[in-house]
Amino acid sequence: MKNSNAKEKSRGALLFAFNTDTVDYELIANRASQLIEYHLDIPVTVITKSQSTQDNIRVGYKAGSQWFNKDRYSAYELSPYDETLLLDSDYLVFDKKLLKVLDTVEDYALTIHNQSPNGSQDGTMGLFSIEWVWATAVAFKKTKKSKMLFDLVGRIQRNYDYYIKLYNLRETNYRNDYAFAIADNIINGYTSSNGIPWSMITIENEINDIEISNDMLTVREHEQAHVIPKQSIHVMDKDYLLSDRFGKLVEQVCQ
Amino acid sequence: MSEINELVEQIKQSTDYQKNKRILREKITTDLHVPYNNGLFLVTIELLSFLSTWPIDELFLEDTYNNPIKIKRQEFLTLCQEHYQMVMNDWHIKHEELKRKRKV
Repeated sequence: MKNSNAKEKSRGALLFAFNTDTVDYELIANRASQLIEYHLDIPVTVITKSQSTQDNIRVGYKAGSQWFNKDRYSAYELSPYDETLLLDSDYLVFDKKLLKVLDTVEDYALTIHNQSPNGSQDGTMGLFSIEWVWATAVAFKKTKKSKMLFDLVGRIQRNYDYYIKLYNLRETNYRNDYAFAIADNIINGYTSSNGIPWSMITIENEINDIEISNDMLTVREHEQAHVIPKQSIHVMDKDYLLSDRFGKLVEQVCQ
Repeated sequence: MSEINELVEQIKQSTDYQKNKRILREKITTDLHVPYNNGLFLVTIELLSFLSTWPIDELFLEDTYNNPIKIKRQEFLTLCQEHYQMVMNDWHIKHEELKRKRKV
């Protein structure tokens, strides 16, 4: 029986998009928003004004480039929703599976498994550190424990040099992945929580094109192609996400 | 020169069956998750066997997030059977399609 006095819980997605000198993240986020609204049928809030004044520099993908990634901890406060999917703007939603997580998670769920066509990306954050998690896709409800997680991520960010040493982190630039992993580890009594129970699929190489037909995605890279079932994917190649080819794909999918 | 270009084009079009197969399996594992009574369950043959043989109609089962979820056995079994059948059929269809693809 439905309680007519009970307030309907609001649900939506939250994206951060801070433009850099080389990447128009707002354009990428707008395209990602269209995919989210089309597939998940939930509203999307895009945060475009950074509260942080500090730059960060990427390592790994596009090493040395500018990277504004220091506001993620404020997602709990900034989200206007009771139940939020916090997604990177380069996470492309092509299915409804994240709704299953929002339906059932108590507090929050982080991405704990990551696969690329070349193999598993799972591992530790340093030789003698804890398991890596990905802040690329996070589902959370506004509960006390979720608030603790985000507050702690902020605290870790502010004292990052200390946590680098404490957790034997491999890389020394600030990564939300690391901060969320550490916060999750602390909150759960120095173990990790059960995150999203399936793997995120990441396309890490540069992409020429993506086509969709018969419920399959054909991802063409420079030297090979992948044929994978239609599902949400994390695309590292920002140049592709900014291209007209991707814009047309979004239009085609969301028609 | 045109022969080299042709070869390059052919390489770009090649796709690795084993990689595609592995990603497809990941997707099927994802799809096999089914929400029930505020819990999330991975439908496996072990779960189906357990539900088929358990003699009591109401029970509690641990879900993916380590919560005990109240189950109406027959109702949940039917849901899991239908879901399993649908996902496995989908796997078979997509796998057959992938087997045929060496180039895109």
